[in-house]
Amino acid sequence: MKKCMFAILILSLFLTGCWDRRELNQLAITLAMGIEKIEDNYQVSAQVVVPSEMSMKGSTGSAKVTLYTARGDTVYEAVRKMTMDSPRKIYPGHLQMLVISEDLAKEGIGESLDLLSRDWELRPDFYVVVTKNTSPAEILNVSTNLESIPANKMFNSLNMSEVAWAGAKSITLDELIADLISDGKEAVITGVQLIGDPKIGSSKNNVEKISPAASIQYDNLAVFKGDKMVGWLTKDETIGYSYVTNSVKTTVRPISCPKDGKVSIEVFKSNSVIKGFINKGNPEVNININLEGNVGSVECHINLSELGTISELEKIYEKELKENINNTIVTLQEQYKSDVFGFGEAIHRSNPKEWNKIKDNWDEEFSKLKFNVKVDLKIVRTGTKNNSFLEKIED
Amino acid sequence: MWFLKKKNPYTSLPSQPVESKQKDVLKTSLQQNIQTLKDTLGKSSDIIIREIRIGKEGTIKAGIIYTDGLTDTPSLQNFILETLMLDIKEIDLQKKISPEQNLISVLKDVALTVGEIKEVSTFDVILTSLLSGDTIILIDGYAQGLIISNRQWAERGVTEPTAQTVVRGPREGFTENLRVNTALIRRKLKDPNLWIESKIIGTRTKTNVAIVYINDIANDKIVKEVILRLDKINIDGILESGNIEELIQDSTYTPFSTIYNTERPDVVAAALLEGRIAILVDGTPFVLLVPALFVQFFQSPEDYYERTIVGSLIRILRFIAFSISLLAPALFIAITTFHQSMLPPALLISLAAQREGVPFPAFVEALIMEVTFEILREAGIRMPRSIGTAISIVGAFVIGTAAVEAGLISAMIVIIVSITAITSFVSPSYEMAIAVRVLRFVFMALAASFGLFGIMVGIIALVLHLCSLRSFGIPYMSPIAPFNISDQKDTFIVLPIRKMLTRPHFFNHKNATRQQDSTVKNKKGS
Repeated sequence: MKKCMFAILILSLFLTGCWDRRELNQLAITLAMGIEKIEDNYQVSAQVVVPSEMSMKGSTGSAKVTLYTARGDTVYEAVRKMTMDSPRKIYPGHLQMLVISEDLAKEGIGESLDLLSRDWELRPDFYVVVTKNTSPAEILNVSTNLESIPANKMFNSLNMSEVAWAGAKSITLDELIADLISDGKEAVITGVQLIGDPKIGSSKNNVEKISPAASIQYDNLAVFKGDKMVGWLTKDETIGYSYVTNSVKTTVRPISCPKDGKVSIEVFKSNSVIKGFINKGNPEVNININLEGNVGSVECHINLSELGTISELEKIYEKELKENINNTIVTLQEQYKSDVFGFGEAIHRSNPKEWNKIKDNWDEEFSKLKFNVKVDLKIVRTGTKNNSFLEKIED
Repeated sequence: MWFLKKKNPYTSLPSQPVESKQKDVLKTSLQQNIQTLKDTLGKSSDIIIREIRIGKEGTIKAGIIYTDGLTDTPSLQNFILETLMLDIKEIDLQKKISPEQNLISVLKDVALTVGEIKEVSTFDVILTSLLSGDTIILIDGYAQGLIISNRQWAERGVTEPTAQTVVRGPREGFTENLRVNTALIRRKLKDPNLWIESKIIGTRTKTNVAIVYINDIANDKIVKEVILRLDKINIDGILESGNIEELIQDSTYTPFSTIYNTERPDVVAAALLEGRIAILVDGTPFVLLVPALFVQFFQSPEDYYERTIVGSLIRILRFIAFSISLLAPALFIAITTFHQSMLPPALLISLAAQREGVPFPAFVEALIMEVTFEILREAGIRMPRSIGTAISIVGAFVIGTAAVEAGLISAMIVIIVSITAITSFVSPSYEMAIAVRVLRFVFMALAASFGLFGIMVGIIALVLHLCSLRSFGIPYMSPIAPFNISDQKDTFIVLPIRKMLTRPHFFNHKNATRQQDSTVKNKKGS
């Protein structure tokens, strides 16, 4: 009898087990999500993969993803409301991109991010971007080629442009939230915009052409102050920002020749150190940037086999980059008064006591902050050639 | 005693004295004796009773009894009948008999030109020997008989073992004949300390069982325990060493075998050298080795014949294959139904695409495929060889292609089941492969109910169970638990033979050294 009871107890364990079981074909795998605000309501769009279109044999040639949108008083409500439209429950565990509308960003993103950082299913390692001159729903509606899932395209091209060009900055949700709550650092988010006609962009025809009618492009950085967006950085300023914050992996930068023309320098190693200190009661920062690079292309008349030429190029580069960085910092100091570089954190690290005195008034202090930029480039190689063949054409 | 903590329910039965109807001793009258034999054996047509007359004038009546088919007829004719009926007619037998000798011992000592010969006086022994193939000589007027061992019957020769094949290593395997088998071992170990003890088990089959061990290596306690457990067996028939295994093993309700079996003399010789004890059973080529440890089932004789690096890598590979075979379907079920977030996005989408339109949950899908595979495997083994290949083709075609095409099963499950199937064949021991087969379904059920949590609980329970097992008093998981650093030389990796200086420590305390450290010696010499 006891044995029988024991067996029943063990078996009943198995009966209760599968309450949170979900088969793969019960999931609406959401790879990208958009949040915008329309008349006090949040509108959430979810880009959901259509698995049958992704399989090798079952594909009927229709769109690989579909977009569900719903409105609600809160983001969570809107997400759940999507089941009114979607046959499967939204599964955001593999979310790769979060697209926030410019308007919402200007209003403040704090409230809308809470769900995404709280829900256990979400991993906070997806990228956050802000739309520029368009809405998230429109961005998520564009079909793309090369990567058939638009979310993957956005994810990969953000990654690649950060690694290969430094013109964009990938920011994951947890980094963003860390920046938002930090006293001595403000947040930036890469902007994304729609080039071309959004109407054609949403149809499959878009990718049937060699050059699509609409495409998604990253551009500029949105500067935040607190959780509110205050403006955009230009392309040059974005690059300056990347150098200062040590987020350059590799990049190419054209500089002017001693005479007419341009030389492109490929940077493959970049290291930036920000040191903050208090000088006679005033905060001050030193920015040291050490770079290594190659001569990538030569489009002017210089003799690379002469020793002096290389160091001359190095000096031009250093000067131009320094100017660029100075402009960037000045813009942020004067126009936005937002310390996106984390100068405050640098000062906090070096002198916590002084920092505690000035941190409440940091925005003002930042706009008056004295900074010294030092750039040091070492050109290591010149590629497979010494002098350009241009020299010989002229002869 | 530490041996006796866990006892097999069968062996703990009180052993009853063997009841025998033929306790009677021989009579002096030949006629009476033959009649008794005839009565006991019934009308068995294979028993030949030949009555002859021997002596100078043919005055002495004698009977020759043997079992047709089990006795070597040429030697019977040449050395027994010819001697008795022709050669000894020349000698006056009566004269040779001194007061302390009788005719029987004269025949035994002087006349019969055969090897093994015994005097006997009870029907009990006569019947056993007769039915084992010996020839019996009875002489009128004497209450004794002679047993002449000239057994000879048709049997399979020494062939390559089919169960444990190797690329490199001896090709000989045990046969069904106990004597041939002991000879095969003796040929590998010409050591006077190799002792072979015999027993007869089974009240009706009277099966010969031999306990083989190297006296100055094997642990006396274990030898005693083996003999004790064998003595406790009281059963009518032993047909295969598997019967003995069942009757003497430490625990019955476990999928894991606590007694190792092998068809290979080299494996037995190696085990004996490590201090293990072999149990040979007449009528089967499978020899039992005790104590058996978990890691032993992952050791192949080839590990020691191949280069050590190759041997180690393959040993590790077997452990990996074991884990895959045990857990692959369970992990697949757990991850795809509970922990989708563990998969990379691209893989998740690809798996989801395969599952589109599949009507079953992943667990049912996996169960269908695993059961189908088990059925096909069983069919493939039992079918005649020529049909076996046809089965595998049909099976592969039905499972692999048609089920996926029809949208009943997702392609990934077919891959998982195939991997599971292939990895389960990697195990050098069939016993371990079967154990895994059983446990795989348990893990699948756990995964379907509780996900990875269930699998972890299952693994913990499995490890606890394995650690609780004993084989003749030796912890089954040694040398992993209890851990012994020296015995790691032959656990997960195989160290070069040069480094294996000692025998395993877990059951051998008598004579631990296998070889002197030659490297040390060389250094001293140079």
